[in-house]
Amino acid sequence: MEYIYSVLILIGIYTIMAASFNLIIGYGGLISIAHPIFFALAAYASALLNLRLGVPIPLAILIGALFSAGMSVMLSLPSLRVSGDYLLIASIGFQLGFIEVIKNIEFAGAASGLTGIGSLYSGPTRSLAFTVTVLVAAAAVVWLVHWLTHGEYGRAIQAMRDDEECFASLGRNAMAIKITIFAVGSGLAGLAGALYAHYFQFLSPEQFGIVQSALILTMVVVGGMGTTLGPIVGALLLTALPQAITFLNMPPSVMAPVQGMLYTGLVLVFLFVRPAGLVGKKAGQ
Amino acid sequence: MFDLPVLLQILWTSVATSTCYVLFAVAFALTLKVAQVWNFVQAGTMGLAFYAMFAAMLGWGWPHPAGFAFGLGIAVAVSMAVEVWGYRVLRRRRSSALLLFIFAIVVAEFIAYLLSLVFGTEPQSLTKSLTSEVYLVGGVAISSWDLNALAVTAAACAALFAFLRFTRQGQFLYAVADNGDLAELYGISANRAYLIAMVIAAALVSVGVYLYGTRASMIPNAPLELMLLAVIATILGGIGSLVGAGVAAVFLSVLQSASILVIPSQWQSSLTYFVLFAVILFFPTGFRVPAWLRRR
Repeated sequence: MEYIYSVLILIGIYTIMAASFNLIIGYGGLISIAHPIFFALAAYASALLNLRLGVPIPLAILIGALFSAGMSVMLSLPSLRVSGDYLLIASIGFQLGFIEVIKNIEFAGAASGLTGIGSLYSGPTRSLAFTVTVLVAAAAVVWLVHWLTHGEYGRAIQAMRDDEECFASLGRNAMAIKITIFAVGSGLAGLAGALYAHYFQFLSPEQFGIVQSALILTMVVVGGMGTTLGPIVGALLLTALPQAITFLNMPPSVMAPVQGMLYTGLVLVFLFVRPAGLVGKKAGQ
Repeated sequence: MFDLPVLLQILWTSVATSTCYVLFAVAFALTLKVAQVWNFVQAGTMGLAFYAMFAAMLGWGWPHPAGFAFGLGIAVAVSMAVEVWGYRVLRRRRSSALLLFIFAIVVAEFIAYLLSLVFGTEPQSLTKSLTSEVYLVGGVAISSWDLNALAVTAAACAALFAFLRFTRQGQFLYAVADNGDLAELYGISANRAYLIAMVIAAALVSVGVYLYGTRASMIPNAPLELMLLAVIATILGGIGSLVGAGVAAVFLSVLQSASILVIPSQWQSSLTYFVLFAVILFFPTGFRVPAWLRRR
């Protein structure tokens, strides 16, 4: 049963990640690969606040998510000032750079990882309570993204994505929208990270590398960019798939590249065969 | 710490080491200039060229020229395939820049995973020993690798500039880079220009990874990080300027090597990322270089 709970929690966490990334890439048209680092920043911030300063876990989770949202502005502000292309380039540097920084900070566990992180719940119903919490959080995030992107603000986001010059000529501030959705998406990724930290109780910088970026991107592309249900389908499919591969008992040196090839290969297949993803409508439909 | 021989040594070594970075940066800048794509697939091409050379030279015992030709052939073939079956298809569908980006970065990652699966993640080099003969000139150690690398890089860059300036196909690349639609009206095939740019870039990175692999070790993920330096150099040099990208690559290499005097060694690897931010923040359109240099 514990295994089932763990898989459900992972599905919930990845749904939050995919839905928030979909807000950035699918609705906002902003490409960044640094989503996992905002997950990591909040995870570390929340864990350290609780571990070193004794901040209550729910408050630490909230601060962690806000910290990620704040840090995202540090990335988006200088790069979007120039063009959207620069955001991708800066995001690669931001992700790899912060992984290097975490590896060198002793009080964050450095390269060997941070252990002894407090758990949000305790007792025999810990996993059940955590599963419910994460799934409720995932549903809330999916609803929030849907609400943000389907109201008046959502129409502004899509107009900005489809024709920025025309949007700006109407007197709207495209830059403010971009920075806001990037911050909201990154803050939600931070929420997922903080929840992850207080369930699995271990963090290592290696967990937040390019493989995670590829995984989240795959979830969104395979599910369907710019759709509400796409990220959920993507998260379900791509959390279940590695679990199935685990049963093949491959050595870790083979498992990691096979998983990576699977994720990136799926993105390539979908880019050419079904760019709209599983949930999105094909052109003309 | 700051005495002259030490500074001269750092300067010399970093200029010699920059030769590979110059080739990577010029290759990246060329595809960006002509095809207007941020060709992150180049990281995959670099990895494939390196490991093909590694398999040929150390696995099958081929002599270095044959091993290099094999790596070059693989890199060129993959670049052509990516252009014809990847970028060209996406352009024909009028895919957004977002999809082109995703395609490029995902292909690079796919190749890195493939190489990890086949060759493992242990560092590998193209020679059994990475040391080479050293001469002392005025207190500065100059290795035969340094001299060879400088000569090969100078020759490769000279050949590229001669091609671009004095051949019809080279002029076509400029025409397509300036205005692809207008060039097509004059009968110049933009697709052909993109393909030629990709092939030249593959050739340049093959030379670069050969030099790199005879001096240092490589792991499958390393090309993506090496690419970052090429990207920074391209931005810093001014997008569209090949000379600017090359000069910026030398500057970044010198900066990285000289930083050892002031930055603790464990933070050295983070420097590239800080420079990336500084460049985007302060020099988003690059340093201004003289107009006659920018034209190249």
